[in-house]
Amino acid sequence: MNLLRFLLRRAGFAVFVLFVVLTITFVLSHLIPGNVIYAWLGREAAQYPAVAAAYSAKYHLNDPIYVQYIYYIVGMLQGNLGVSPSRGFIPVSSVIAQTLPLTLQIVLLAFVICVVIGLVLGVLAARYQNTPVDSAIRVFYLASYSSPPYFVGVLILVVTSLYLRILPTGGAYDPLVVSPSPSITGFPIFDSLVQGNFTFFENASVHVILPALTLALVTFGVITRVARSSLLDVMKTNFIRTARSKGLKEGSVFYGHALPNAAISLITISSLVMTFLLTGSVFVEYLFSYPGLGHYAFTALQGSDYPGIMATVFVFAAIIIITNLVADVLYAYADPEIRLG
Amino acid sequence: MDNPAPPTTPRGLGRRARAAIRLMTSNKQSLVGLVIVLGFLAIAFVMEVASLLNVQITPYPANPLPNQVSATLLGPSWAHPFGTDNIGRDVFSRVLVATPYDFMIGFVVVGSAVLVGSMLGGFAGLRGGLLDEILMRVTDVFFALPVLLIAMVIGAILGGGIGNMSVALMITWWPPYARLARGESLKVAHQNYIEASRLSGQRPRHILFRHILPNISGTMLVYATLDIGTVILVYSGLTYLGLGNKPPAPDWGQMVAAYNSWLLSDPWLALIPGLIISIGVIGFSLLGDGIKETLGIR
Repeated sequence: MNLLRFLLRRAGFAVFVLFVVLTITFVLSHLIPGNVIYAWLGREAAQYPAVAAAYSAKYHLNDPIYVQYIYYIVGMLQGNLGVSPSRGFIPVSSVIAQTLPLTLQIVLLAFVICVVIGLVLGVLAARYQNTPVDSAIRVFYLASYSSPPYFVGVLILVVTSLYLRILPTGGAYDPLVVSPSPSITGFPIFDSLVQGNFTFFENASVHVILPALTLALVTFGVITRVARSSLLDVMKTNFIRTARSKGLKEGSVFYGHALPNAAISLITISSLVMTFLLTGSVFVEYLFSYPGLGHYAFTALQGSDYPGIMATVFVFAAIIIITNLVADVLYAYADPEIRLG
Repeated sequence: MDNPAPPTTPRGLGRRARAAIRLMTSNKQSLVGLVIVLGFLAIAFVMEVASLLNVQITPYPANPLPNQVSATLLGPSWAHPFGTDNIGRDVFSRVLVATPYDFMIGFVVVGSAVLVGSMLGGFAGLRGGLLDEILMRVTDVFFALPVLLIAMVIGAILGGGIGNMSVALMITWWPPYARLARGESLKVAHQNYIEASRLSGQRPRHILFRHILPNISGTMLVYATLDIGTVILVYSGLTYLGLGNKPPAPDWGQMVAAYNSWLLSDPWLALIPGLIISIGVIGFSLLGDGIKETLGIR
């Protein structure tokens, strides 16, 4: 019962935060200098006042602000995110449908790489605390999360394209070499694998490696740091002393008792990791000319494509909020105090 | 919690300064961090003074006059330690000139966050009630918001520039400090000496400034130090996106972005400003982590 109440409260909170984000973008959209309609239709629309007036009426821009707010929220909930000037005025929702799966492909791969590198290094650093191993790992992870994603990306780009020409440094696949399978889920890698299009699968998979690696390299430090410190904390607790006094070997105390306990604290930072990866994707996708949502956010920003910017920020925020919620659920499940009430 | 912290109510500026210096130099990690941070601060200070006095102290002007012709895309050399860019500007001079912007915003944003956050959080923890409840909900919301993205929207609509970006970051940055201050003030609020002070008729403001804030200053210092690096990182990201200073005024992130086009022929152009950002942020991370270790804060 306690668990259910906890989950409902967290879910309610997630919805509330989404509303806050929507409200922020709504308020900001009213601060656009000049007549908003020209921001949406393009400056050329100023030559056709009648058209601009018609669109102002169509988009309820002459209504009182609270009515506009209601239209805005309802439209957003129906998936109507407006049209994107920087993409030839096609609906923003269809741009997102195209680009989001591409971004999720690299973000999910980066997440996996992050967890693996982060956890292994964190465990090693804690196991060999205050030894050269620990110091070396610390230098590595400090440099990792202190570096801007575009710097690490540039470094990787330079190294691969000048010295190590194995991996492609741009695009989601080579359109001249392979052609994608018809879309089922929207995830090109997954779709081609399911439909047995292995040449495309291989080509597209190779293209996600460098962007994902870049994202993982600037993010894993968060995991290493938390893994190390929570392992060291657990190792100081009474229950570890009990395990030791039972005569267990140090290795089995560490990996069998301390590690599972410390893993719980990693759940709570998973949403932080997701935030890093998604915001990083704006830079990394641009750098690697990878046509995902981050790339769209970047080009929308350069082209003053307001609907595009707001929609991408909203989608990113929604993913982060959902990750928060999932982390809460996992945490509640992993923590007996909440699960058993 | 066993805190091998310096005495919580040191008297006199000299003693306090000595305690702070000891805190930052007693650990090898924080010492290295301190050296890096002081180095950058010195450069930032000198550059700011020079720009206020309108004196050029960099080897070359950051933005030469249009009719000045100089060799473009030279590699690093003694004359141009970081080379020259596509229009012949000395990259070393540009990196130096950009230092105050990137560093000041770190201090300004974190400083305001510490100020606002510790006041609100400290009072909320001490008083409880409605203020506390509202503050905690607001904090929760801000924790869930992606700061860089919000700043991006604000920049896209209200325009970039260091002023707008500082405001955007200041609006979103204080809640973690409020949560921190609240937590710490809750911890001490029911200790005997606070009760005693309250019973003796002290006003909450007095309790906050005399007892609670000095107690949480160590933790605040650690978070703030680590955070200055984060602000620099986020701001450099915003400048990379073109939301920082208007060109030709230099910004580290904007330089990396602008020099991307010469990545394959002249990689140092983009790599050097990027590396400078990393070193600056690493300095704050080392300093913060070191102080944290010395104080025994988790």
